[in-house]
Amino acid sequence: MQPQPAQSQKTGTAPFLEIRNVRKSFGGVQALKDVSVTLQAGQIYHLMGENGCGKSTLIKIISGAQPATSGQIFIDGVQTEGEVAGDLGAIGALRAGIETVYQDLSLLPNLSVAENVALTGQLVEADGSLARRLKLGALYETAAKALEQVHLPTDRAFLTRRIDTLPLATRQLVAIARAIAAEARLVIMDEPTTSLTRQEVNYLLSVVRELLDKGVTVLFVTHKLDEVKSLGGHAIIMRDGQKVAERDVTTTNKAEIGHLMTGREISEARYRTEPKIGDTLLQVEGLSQARAFTNLSFTVRKGEILGVTGLLDSGRNELALALSGVVPAERGTIRLGGRSVALRSPAEAIREGVGYVPEDRLTEGLFLEKSIQDNVTLPVLNRLRNFFGMISQRKARKLSEDQITDLQVVAPDVTVPVQSLSGGNQQRVLIGRWLTIEPRLLVLHGPTVGVDVGSKDTIFRIIQRLADDGMAVVIISDDLPELLQNCDRILVMRQGGIVADYAAEEVDEDGIYQTMAAGPATEAPANMDEEAAQ
Amino acid sequence: MTDMTLTNSGPGVFRRIWDLMGRRPELFTLALVILTVIGVAIANPDFLAVNNLFDILRASVVRGIFAMGVLAVLAAGGIDVSFTAIAAFVMYALTMLVTNVFPGMPIWVILPLAAAGGAAFGVVNGLLVHALRTPSLIVTIGTQYFIRSFLLTFIGTALFMNIPAAMDGFGKASLITWHGTNGVISTLPATVLVLVATAFATWFILERTLMGRAIFAAGGTPGIAERLGFNLFYVRLFVFGWAGLLAGVAGIVHVASNRLANPFDLAGMELEIIAAVVLGGAKITGGSGTVVGTLLGVVLITLVSNVLVFIGIPSTLQLAIIGAFILLAGTIFALRNRA
Repeated sequence: MQPQPAQSQKTGTAPFLEIRNVRKSFGGVQALKDVSVTLQAGQIYHLMGENGCGKSTLIKIISGAQPATSGQIFIDGVQTEGEVAGDLGAIGALRAGIETVYQDLSLLPNLSVAENVALTGQLVEADGSLARRLKLGALYETAAKALEQVHLPTDRAFLTRRIDTLPLATRQLVAIARAIAAEARLVIMDEPTTSLTRQEVNYLLSVVRELLDKGVTVLFVTHKLDEVKSLGGHAIIMRDGQKVAERDVTTTNKAEIGHLMTGREISEARYRTEPKIGDTLLQVEGLSQARAFTNLSFTVRKGEILGVTGLLDSGRNELALALSGVVPAERGTIRLGGRSVALRSPAEAIREGVGYVPEDRLTEGLFLEKSIQDNVTLPVLNRLRNFFGMISQRKARKLSEDQITDLQVVAPDVTVPVQSLSGGNQQRVLIGRWLTIEPRLLVLHGPTVGVDVGSKDTIFRIIQRLADDGMAVVIISDDLPELLQNCDRILVMRQGGIVADYAAEEVDEDGIYQTMAAGPATEAPANMDEEAAQ
Repeated sequence: MTDMTLTNSGPGVFRRIWDLMGRRPELFTLALVILTVIGVAIANPDFLAVNNLFDILRASVVRGIFAMGVLAVLAAGGIDVSFTAIAAFVMYALTMLVTNVFPGMPIWVILPLAAAGGAAFGVVNGLLVHALRTPSLIVTIGTQYFIRSFLLTFIGTALFMNIPAAMDGFGKASLITWHGTNGVISTLPATVLVLVATAFATWFILERTLMGRAIFAAGGTPGIAERLGFNLFYVRLFVFGWAGLLAGVAGIVHVASNRLANPFDLAGMELEIIAAVVLGGAKITGGSGTVVGTLLGVVLITLVSNVLVFIGIPSTLQLAIIGAFILLAGTIFALRNRA
């Protein structure tokens, strides 16, 4: 089923995994340029780097999800043989004992806990063939054994429970149990702590420690160095598709790693200078939405930038959707410029002058195969009508050209499809679209997710300029430095309520983090599943 | 997240029934079946007779066999509307072949042949869906028209009034003969066994094989399923092949029961079958569904289309009732998913 442990002891000195001179290109873009990494058995590694530095590509190659363009992969000192050099293949990687816990956890939401934990084992055993009987007894047995190691329940009721009825932290443990069930020798975890509370993170880390004690190699993809420092290990730092350094995390500080990641001193300077704050524009009172948030009240003034943050389940995302009319609030009032408005749909929000830049620009925001012009002019097509009631191409072109010049979008022409642009430029197109409606209030949801540092800088400058022009801006984000650098005030949400309202200048990252994570003493992870009953 | 709900007064009876239905949507279908039966029985107490039960079972056979195939396709996240055309093609071409060339062919050769023929068409559907990367609805609309047109243009349009002896005998074979008190004789046809076997095989595949789990995995989240090493190509080939195979079988059962091979038959039945499967709790978007639920959905559709005449509801109104049931079930299932 997997390479015998005896063999690895025999070869002794050979590292568990070695990749040599791996390159990967997509079309003309080089995602990985000659990367070599060695992972020793039983050690922990932290893969760090900015978005777009190639770390996710590297993981995909190690986990067999994508073949490398060239290069070699050695497991226990033996070169893997695939159809292409450096191609493990999904089943091949599983066979070698490489398990990946992606950020989305790769759980099958409509299948049971037991199936999620132990089904892939049977699949590997069958060599990918599906014409096999499902061994139910073995399935439950393997699953129970693995679940025990992450201290989850092992009774039949839990084993047969559907994944989509479990809370996130429990799902994370199920995903780890799957790796254990597969007798993984390398577990790759892609930003596993992103949406967990601090207590859940500590619990996760203790499970990881147990894995290391058993001789399993762990590769963490992370940007939260503080969190993982207690685990020790090596940081592998990548930049522009290359490995730039390896450091011992216990003796390296954040600034040094930041410098290595970006290749320059990261300025933590505030972009916010001399705010020109005017009258109250947005007044929210007693806003509630069942299961998401309760009784939220706050105001935003003209020219003010308000940050909103919180953990994934704090209700921040739902607040963004409520302000933009995508999922309206159920109770409470929203006043814009003193007048009560009902934002029951995005169309109403647009009419009221609320622009919304969604979190996931690829699926919620942009029409990727359409041109910049089509994307930018979408909300104002009415205004672009000519005498015959048709859309004036001339006006549309002018408007979109103005926007891309204004927002410094790097593109040959407004007719190129948006998908040909980089992440940062796509985001600017999306912001440009909402500027066409001349919004009074601009709601930005994760404005720099998946955007490189250079673009981030540009986007921040744009946000500041808009506020200076008198627009009220709400930034909803979990990127704390982003909020600290840009906002006047920062609201912290927890479990559906606002728990703090900070002046951005008077608080630091750690202070906010404490506030957003410090919940009431949460239940012990072993019975966390009860929470899901809701 | 739980403790902030304002009106949480503990789970009431309604709440618990609701939750149970959320986990087992087929219970809702069962409730609809029972309500319909009670409604009809109150209006006309004669309804609760053995011969009516037999009639409903008889009328459920072809629908039920089709529905098992559709269930597999829906569970895998696809949709198939070509199965009626496959059934029509297989039944007509095979009847013609047996009548003209092998008049003595026994039913135990005819049925496997029909299954093989249907499966061949189904596999082509699966190949096209995979190779063209096109939604299966589009692909199967295309193949449906192709198959139907080919049948009517090149095979024939004339009805076979005298079907081969083996098929005729198969249709007439009876499991149970019931002599009613009023002298009515009713029979439970042996074709019901085909449905039983089909349902069992489908249940076994879906619940007890790796293929079954792969089908649900692919129907729920195909990207993740693929990443975990499930081969989606096999899954697609299999589910469309299975739907085709069962369509071939259903075609022969249809001919045997009606003692008539009409190439124009079965057309337009696709939506009704898909409706039955969805009424049985399968999501149109894939990743869920059970054999028991699907059978209940089929019974419900059959009840409404065969029995309402019994209580004086004109046949033209039946569609409206089916429509109402679908809307009701659709709403309930959608609410359950949102909760």
